Amino acid sequence: MFMERGHPAPSPSPARRHVRPIVWAMAARSVTALVGGYAAAAVLATLAARLLPVDRVEATGWAMILSFLTYAAIGLWCFHEPRLARVAGFVWGVALLGGAALWWLGVRP
Amino acid sequence: MSVSLRQSMAWIHGWLGLLAGWLLFAMFLTGTASYFRPEITRWMQPESRVPAVSTERAAATAIAYLQRTGADDLQWYVFLPDARRPTTEIFPVPKPDAAKTASRPDEIELDPATGRPVTARETRGGEQFYRFHFQLQLPHPWGRWLAGLCAMFMLGTILSGVITHKRIFADFFTLRWNKGQRSWLDAHNVSAVLALPYHAMITYTGLITLVTMYMPWPILANYKQPAEFAQIAFSQPADRAATGKRVGLTPIAPLIADAGHRLGAPVSRIIVHHPNDQAATITLAQGTGTTINARGPSVTYDGATGRWLEQSGTGSTALATAGVMLGLHLAQYAGPALRWAYFAMGLTGVAMVGTGLLLWTAKRRRPGAAPFFGLRLVERLNIAVIVGLPIGMASYLLANRLIPAMQPGRADAEVATMFWAWGLVALVQLVRPARRAWREGFALAALVFTAIPLADALTTTRGLPGSLLGGDTLFAAFDLAMLAIAALFAFAAWRTGRVPAPRRRRAAPSAPSLSETLHA
Repeated sequence: MFMERGHPAPSPSPARRHVRPIVWAMAARSVTALVGGYAAAAVLATLAARLLPVDRVEATGWAMILSFLTYAAIGLWCFHEPRLARVAGFVWGVALLGGAALWWLGVRP
Repeated sequence: MSVSLRQSMAWIHGWLGLLAGWLLFAMFLTGTASYFRPEITRWMQPESRVPAVSTERAAATAIAYLQRTGADDLQWYVFLPDARRPTTEIFPVPKPDAAKTASRPDEIELDPATGRPVTARETRGGEQFYRFHFQLQLPHPWGRWLAGLCAMFMLGTILSGVITHKRIFADFFTLRWNKGQRSWLDAHNVSAVLALPYHAMITYTGLITLVTMYMPWPILANYKQPAEFAQIAFSQPADRAATGKRVGLTPIAPLIADAGHRLGAPVSRIIVHHPNDQAATITLAQGTGTTINARGPSVTYDGATGRWLEQSGTGSTALATAGVMLGLHLAQYAGPALRWAYFAMGLTGVAMVGTGLLLWTAKRRRPGAAPFFGLRLVERLNIAVIVGLPIGMASYLLANRLIPAMQPGRADAEVATMFWAWGLVALVQLVRPARRAWREGFALAALVFTAIPLADALTTTRGLPGSLLGGDTLFAAFDLAMLAIAALFAFAAWRTGRVPAPRRRRAAPSAPSLSETLHA
């Protein structure tokens, strides 16, 4: 879907009419990567911190340190996978399901 | 339809780099300058010459000053002098209900020998570049969020850039001059690949410096009181409530000596809670200049009796890792040679971002065709940032010498000069043809940087000839560095004026080669 790269100066042609859906799809993809990616990475890090069977300082610290790597990986994958539905489903799914699981788990006793 | 990983990563590399490029350029440049934060501050206060004294003496004079001016404060923070910062810095925190003592600033610099405030020109010094590096002159917390977003873009750009590369090792040795787009690509590859471990390290550790702000959620899942984690992570002693019963503070010098033995390194920081109360505590922390870990251990004593209470440091590997990452980023542990190496690698970061931005335009320019709007926009923003910011920074340093030393509000005026100069360059270049604008911008930058040592020689007693002869290393090195940067800009101006003729000749017959994909 973004094979058009390398032609940044589209000639004013009938192709213009198709620009709008592409723009919307790219906007959705970008928001998913940026906001959804952050949410998913935060949820995964928090789940790891909450569930890892090690001391809570260690679990918290490592989860925080590694969270940015997760975020970057998710964000890049969002622009690699061509099917937008799959991208949105996976990223927002992880964020929502993981968030629900965290709400159910509560603070570590 | 499946896209190869290399293709999609090349695409996202270009866009991430372009969108965050200008801010990243500014962050790399001001961050690189910040490796010499205390030195810049010292250069910007040429009249301040304070003698070196022992740690115990500096601590005693600072506490004596605080007893005179704020005996009933809530907390005192004292940063003792070290090899790079000759003055003591104190931050007294008054009780929230205390009547505001009008004349006392939040941060005071003391002469460690006498314990009296230093009388030098008012300036933000190197702190200005340091703060801009991660706050971008925006109100809190927006600047920090924006800087974090740019750092994430940088991380994504590095990862996608590495995936995109076919021949990372060969790129070490590839630099083809005077080949237009090819040369920019090679320069981008050389600056990025040569110092790749540095770029990856500095980006990731940069995110870690503000991790508790960017990613606090794991703390909330594990601690009912998030402050509990902060206490462990930042080596803060357990809180003690004030009793309201007045008991004088124990002498500081014996504690400094004792803590030095316990920590195995000199003390550089004193934190006093509830001074002159029965529940007072004195926390002494190890200097950041002695170990890579920027969150060194600390020792806490009872403020009334001087009895040892606790020593922080949990032995957590995660927190030690975070502390080392923080230390690697701040580079306060680095000696002079390593600090210059950091500075040089920071400049390769500046070059990497700068050549990347130039590459974006070089790749899209078609000979003979009128540039489209996006290309013109990017080119103008490139000039505004790559030429404008260094001129702004130089103007800030120049303003330090030209604004009268005793003028009230001069620190803010210096900062304003930096942004006015930057903004003016960004605007005025718009009326010049692009290539001219580059050339004249570089020439102007060379002029302003040359003017700095001149103004220093004319307005202070520590000019270049005197500092060279008198062994004033800091001032000599600073002025010489300014001249070296000026020479670099003069060279850039000369190159931009020279290049077009051979390039146009070569490019015209072989137009297809320009559209050759970048990462083929």
